[in-house]
Amino acid sequence: MTDHDGVRDLLAAWAFGALPPAERRSVQPHLAECESCSAEAARLRETVRLLDGPPTNGTPAEPTADAHVLTRALRTRPAAPQVAPHAAPYAAAVAGLRALLPELEGNWGTPVVHDWDAHATLAHLLAADEHLAVRLGIGARVPASRIEEGTAWEDAWDRRTTDVIAHEHGRDPGATVADWSAQAADLLATPEARDSELASCATLLMGIRLPVADHFVVRAFETWIHTDDLGRALGLHVPPPPGEHLGQLVRLAVRILGLALGPTAPPVLFAITGGGEWVLGSEDEPVRAELVLDPVDFCLLVGGRYTPDAVPRGAAGDEDAVRNVLEQAAALAWL
Amino acid sequence: MVPVQPTGSSTSVPSAADTDLHRRLVYGDESALTEAYRIYGGLVRGVAARVTRSPVAAEDVAQEVFAQLWSRPYAFDARRGSLRTWLSLLAHRRAVDWVRGEARHRKHRHADDSALHAIPDAGPGPDETVVDRERALLLHTALAELPQPQREVVHLAYFAGRTYRQAAAELGIPEGTAKTRLRTALRTLAESLADPPDPALERGA
Repeated sequence: MTDHDGVRDLLAAWAFGALPPAERRSVQPHLAECESCSAEAARLRETVRLLDGPPTNGTPAEPTADAHVLTRALRTRPAAPQVAPHAAPYAAAVAGLRALLPELEGNWGTPVVHDWDAHATLAHLLAADEHLAVRLGIGARVPASRIEEGTAWEDAWDRRTTDVIAHEHGRDPGATVADWSAQAADLLATPEARDSELASCATLLMGIRLPVADHFVVRAFETWIHTDDLGRALGLHVPPPPGEHLGQLVRLAVRILGLALGPTAPPVLFAITGGGEWVLGSEDEPVRAELVLDPVDFCLLVGGRYTPDAVPRGAAGDEDAVRNVLEQAAALAWL
Repeated sequence: MVPVQPTGSSTSVPSAADTDLHRRLVYGDESALTEAYRIYGGLVRGVAARVTRSPVAAEDVAQEVFAQLWSRPYAFDARRGSLRTWLSLLAHRRAVDWVRGEARHRKHRHADDSALHAIPDAGPGPDETVVDRERALLLHTALAELPQPQREVVHLAYFAGRTYRQAAAELGIPEGTAKTRLRTALRTLAESLADPPDPALERGA
């Protein structure tokens, strides 16, 4: 490349003041001896000068202006409420779904997951949160379902979701959103959401007896997974929960997976990238295999958003033992 | 053990800082907006002030931009570009809209002195200043309409003070491409001056 071509190439960057010093020094001598480059340089520099505009003579911004801008910007959306650590993932997940609601305007009929559209997905969350809400003394917002004594919990849950979706489909999506949102706010305002000690008492929900604190984590899990479903349906990327919250979801899911596998399953050393290692299955035998999953992928597997075959993994050792863990995780079918 | 490739890997690698900040914004952490403002507030106000030439208007634009980031966080996608360029582009578009709106007001009420109070430093000046002001608006309108890949390099080089090499690194493109985009962009802008389209101030907002 000649000097001429090289400098010609740099002129726009030069005019914008975007050349490193060494290259800037190479431009000037060439302009002095090349008429066409010099004319082009003048034209481009003049364009940038005009882009700069005439000098401003306005008064500089007040020092308090920054605080004003921030305060007014923050007013456009409520922050996640302050709650005890066990309820923080749910508070964050609710904030994350609330932030997605404006993007759902005009898209309520979009197919999302199962045979649900966006409206039905919100209705399902209204139904799913209701179980914990009722347990904590919050009144149901949708007329009660007729569910016979002794119905298996899965059937009772499915039935309630079906009823609530049918009920909500007869209403405006805005009304469903308002009820979901109000119920979530009520849950986060309960003493159990703010006091770890109160939340330590166990209660039976979803067929599992767990401390109320853990049921809050389960609510976070489901809210995030369905927000992710809604995001996918709209072509929007929903980031996974903040690391600390993700850790809480993973630890609970691993515990429940351990219970599901039982004490006699072939033992597998299970690790989560970025933190956490457990031996799942029998404690009396040597470990047969190692399995490592990304925390988000593990949650998506437990949430039924990955099949055991498709989930990205690192694995070594006995393939059957690994498969057993992956299939049990997928079979938790939490949501 | 064998490392795993997490879900959602894409061609351009988002910065860890952007990803973390965006995640906190989505999940309703107010401190994330404060942090975004601390890092990018100056850039956003600078872009807005350059276009509107009014500190008051620049403050309004900055407020709109950060309100948008906070209330519609999903509009930003860390995998598609940096938060710096996204905010800079948004501030510029909003600022151009603001000036076009003001220009329309002025035109409709050109005889009415009170209209000028809305823009404190837009009082009638020497003819040259008025012409320069109109040319600047013409150029910024043209800039706002450039293809996004060109606009991103211009924003980093012009508003964010990056060299073309730094801009290339930040955008994950070859240095030669950054240079070419700057050149194509600036030539388009120069031509928009030589051959102005329909009365620029009237164009759709």
